[in-house]
Amino acid sequence: MSSPDPSPPAERTSARRHDPAVRLALRHCIPLFLPAIPFALVLGLAITESAMPTSIAWSTNVVVFAGAAQLATVSLAATATWVTLVATAAIINLRHVMYSAALAPRFSEQPGWFRWVGPFFLIDQLFALGVARPELSNDDWRRYYLTAGVFFFTAWNLLVTTGLLLGSAIPTEWRLDVAPAIMFAGLVVLGLSNRPGIVAAVVGAGVCFATLEVPNNGSILLGAVSGVIAGYVADVMTDRAGAQA
Amino acid sequence: MNAPAAVAAVLAVGVITYASRAGLILFLADRPLPANVTRALRYVGPAVLSALAINLIAGGEGIDGVTGVEVAALAAGVAAAALSRNLIASIAVAMTTLWLLLWIT
Repeated sequence: MSSPDPSPPAERTSARRHDPAVRLALRHCIPLFLPAIPFALVLGLAITESAMPTSIAWSTNVVVFAGAAQLATVSLAATATWVTLVATAAIINLRHVMYSAALAPRFSEQPGWFRWVGPFFLIDQLFALGVARPELSNDDWRRYYLTAGVFFFTAWNLLVTTGLLLGSAIPTEWRLDVAPAIMFAGLVVLGLSNRPGIVAAVVGAGVCFATLEVPNNGSILLGAVSGVIAGYVADVMTDRAGAQA
Repeated sequence: MNAPAAVAAVLAVGVITYASRAGLILFLADRPLPANVTRALRYVGPAVLSALAINLIAGGEGIDGVTGVEVAALAAGVAAAALSRNLIASIAVAMTTLWLLLWIT
C-alpha cells in the first residue's frame, strides 16, 4: 500500500497542474479533439431524433463512450431489432480489440486499478496518443493517458449535450436525420489509406445495398462481414503481388 | 423502442465496448493476436461504417427508403471528404446539397 502524500492539498493541486506529463497530454489533446467536434454535435442531434427516450440515448455518453457505436445505437433504435442493434455496435467496436492488443504490453507494467480503469477511455484518439509515447516512464505514461482520457470524456459529454440542446430547437424539415449516414460515410473516406481498405468499404456498402430487403436490418451485418473478407483477401493479394514484383 | 429495451441495449453495448477495449489488456497481457486476425481487424472500420451509412440512408424501409435526393447528398459528402480530407467540409457540402435539392424538387 502506498504511503499518504504528506503535502497540503493546495500544493498537491499545484504540483498536478505543473506536472509535465499532464501539460503534455493537454497540449496533445486539443488538436486531436477538434475533428471530433462535428461528430459530437451530430450525435447530440441524433439523440434528439432517436426512437429511444432522450435520457437513455444520452446515457450512452457515460456507459459506452465510443462515438461510432453510440451513433449506431441511437440511430438504429427506430428500425433495427434489439439483437441487430447490439450486434452492429459490437462489430463497430471490434477495432478496439486491435488497440487493446497493441497497448497490452504497456498496461502490463501498470497497477491493477489502472488496468481496469484505463481501457474505458480507449477511444481512437487515446490509442493514437498512448501508442506514440514510448519515451514516457510508466508513471508519466499513466498520468498522460489518464489526463487525456478525462479531457476527452469531459469535452465529449459537453459537446454532445450542446448538440442535443441545439437539435431540439431545429425544425424536422431541415432533415438532420440524414446527418448520421453522412457522418459515417465521411469517416470511412477519411480513414481509407490503402487499396484493400477501399475494397472493404465498397464491398461493405455494395452488399448492404443489395441486401437491404433482408429482414431485421441484416444488411448491415452481411455488408460488414463481406467487406472485412474482401478487404482481407485484397490485402493478401496485394502482399503476394508485392512479393512477386 | 420502449425504455426497458433501450436500457438493456445501452448496457449491453456498454459491456461489449468495455470488453473489446479491456479484454486483451486484462487477460492476455503479453500474448499477441494472430497475424491473420490483426490483418482482418484492419478492415472492420471501413466495411461496417460504409454498410451502416447505406442502411441508415434507407431508414429501415428497404430499397424503397432510398431516395435520389439523399443519395446525391451522400455522394456529395463522400466527394467533399475525399477532396478536402475534412469532416466538417463533408457534412457542410452534403447538407447544403440536400437542402438545395429538396428546395428545387
